[in-house]
Amino acid sequence: MTSLQALQQQMLQAVLAENPPALSIIRDNGIADARSRLAVYQHGYRVRLRDALQAEFTGLRSMAGRRFGAMLDKYIAAHPSEHYNIRWYGAGLAAFLGYAHPWRDQPQFADMARLDWAISVAFDAADETHANVADLSTVPPDAWPALRLSLQQNLHVLDCRCNADAFRRAADHARPRPRLRHFEQARQILVWRKDTTVHYRRLDEDEWQVLGAAIRGESFAALCAGLAAHHGETAAMPRMAVMLQGWLAAGLIRGWTFIQT
Amino acid sequence: MAMRAAHRSDALPYLGYGLGLRVEYYEALLAQPAGIEWLEIVSENYMVHGGLPLVWLDRFRERYPLVMHGVSMSIGSTDPLDDDYLARLAALAARVEPAWVSDHLCWTGVQGVNLHDLMPLPYTEEALDHVVARVKQVQDRLKRRILLENVSSYVSFADSQLSEWEFLAEVAERADCLILLDINNVHVSAMNHGFSALDYLRGIPVPRVQQFHLAGYEQGTQLIVDTHDAPVADAVWDLYAEAVRRFGRVSTMIERDDHFPPLSELMMELEHARALAEPLLRDAA
Repeated sequence: MTSLQALQQQMLQAVLAENPPALSIIRDNGIADARSRLAVYQHGYRVRLRDALQAEFTGLRSMAGRRFGAMLDKYIAAHPSEHYNIRWYGAGLAAFLGYAHPWRDQPQFADMARLDWAISVAFDAADETHANVADLSTVPPDAWPALRLSLQQNLHVLDCRCNADAFRRAADHARPRPRLRHFEQARQILVWRKDTTVHYRRLDEDEWQVLGAAIRGESFAALCAGLAAHHGETAAMPRMAVMLQGWLAAGLIRGWTFIQT
Repeated sequence: MAMRAAHRSDALPYLGYGLGLRVEYYEALLAQPAGIEWLEIVSENYMVHGGLPLVWLDRFRERYPLVMHGVSMSIGSTDPLDDDYLARLAALAARVEPAWVSDHLCWTGVQGVNLHDLMPLPYTEEALDHVVARVKQVQDRLKRRILLENVSSYVSFADSQLSEWEFLAEVAERADCLILLDINNVHVSAMNHGFSALDYLRGIPVPRVQQFHLAGYEQGTQLIVDTHDAPVADAVWDLYAEAVRRFGRVSTMIERDDHFPPLSELMMELEHARALAEPLLRDAA
């Protein structure tokens, strides 16, 4: 190990430590002692990471209230930053809240962090074009059964056992936070971006069934069959038409291909 | 006033008086208020796949000359240079076509851990060789000379054999790179370590200085902390005048990173820089 490597490793450990030992590598003078000098870096490290997390996790901040600061401090202590861009530091927060005491017994916090992070990731994900109704109307009627929808790659569907979307919406619009509601069964929240605007909304059960099948790459015939099992043959097609129009308007559909038989 | 060396064939342009581009000023800057001649972007804010940041970037690129200023190259780290970072930086430079690309003479992390801070180096021959080799590597990769900025520091190391300005000058000469001289950082480090800011300026080779930063700081109980969240201090304006006398006409900008005032206040500071520098430059002409 070179002396430069050794110095940098000592400085790194000292900045990360809560109570670092005195470092003889730091020059002392009459202006400030070594401990005070090091403290500027220790403080700065924690403040910067806290600020970055506060900017990304606005829903969690609303849901956690006074507990938010302690959450961030524990995460920062447990997870040194590994990415050069501080914007990515929050990538592990939801997982942390899923296993760390005491938050692992309160799964709403991990759910909330997952939604905040999905919104953050969608914000600067790769740009994608989206198809519209006129594009899709060019598909010949007899080709529809084999049609396979190509959905936006920045689209995320999250399982959520609480009304995390309501907390995020309240935070986005500076409204009072809602009451926390728990669900027996996980519900799905869809997160995506159309052009430069990130959207999120809860999916109805039948819509998730069809959208999930589309994400798996199933044919349009299979999507319709699944919906018919849910609603019956007569009601399925109008419902499918409504969903498809909604997806097109929302920019969820990038294009389509045809499954070769 | 010392004479600037004759321009090299790859000399970079003089841009005038500019500002650091921050989200808080996007709307106001789109109107292209008079007196702001160029903008400096923080490279990492636009090293993304898509979305709104790049839409805004393209708007500003249409309206202003841009330069790129990074905070994560970690040129002094003993970890290998990050290939992914350099690839993204090169891609951004190809998109922006900036007048120049800069980062800091520091390290930001080691052992795969990032401190997101501009950590000072020990000013030793070993560190000098290490940094020079890496600057050359980056310049080869980017196919351009880069600017390195002096950082504010709160620690110095017992092992240091050179002064900070000797180290910075040696890096620039040996690696054939340029210098972004942050006048505020010179003042902050001078106060924190007890050296002469004027000695610092006198130790920097004139032809290497391509850009000035001006910013504000916070007075702590013992140390001055470089917060970039306050107006430029009187002592820094005085030092800026000395820098103009020594280095001549250098592209100058105000850098504000927090406690954002209305744009008009930053424009007044920029106007102050102009009013301070231009008579000195005229007198020297």
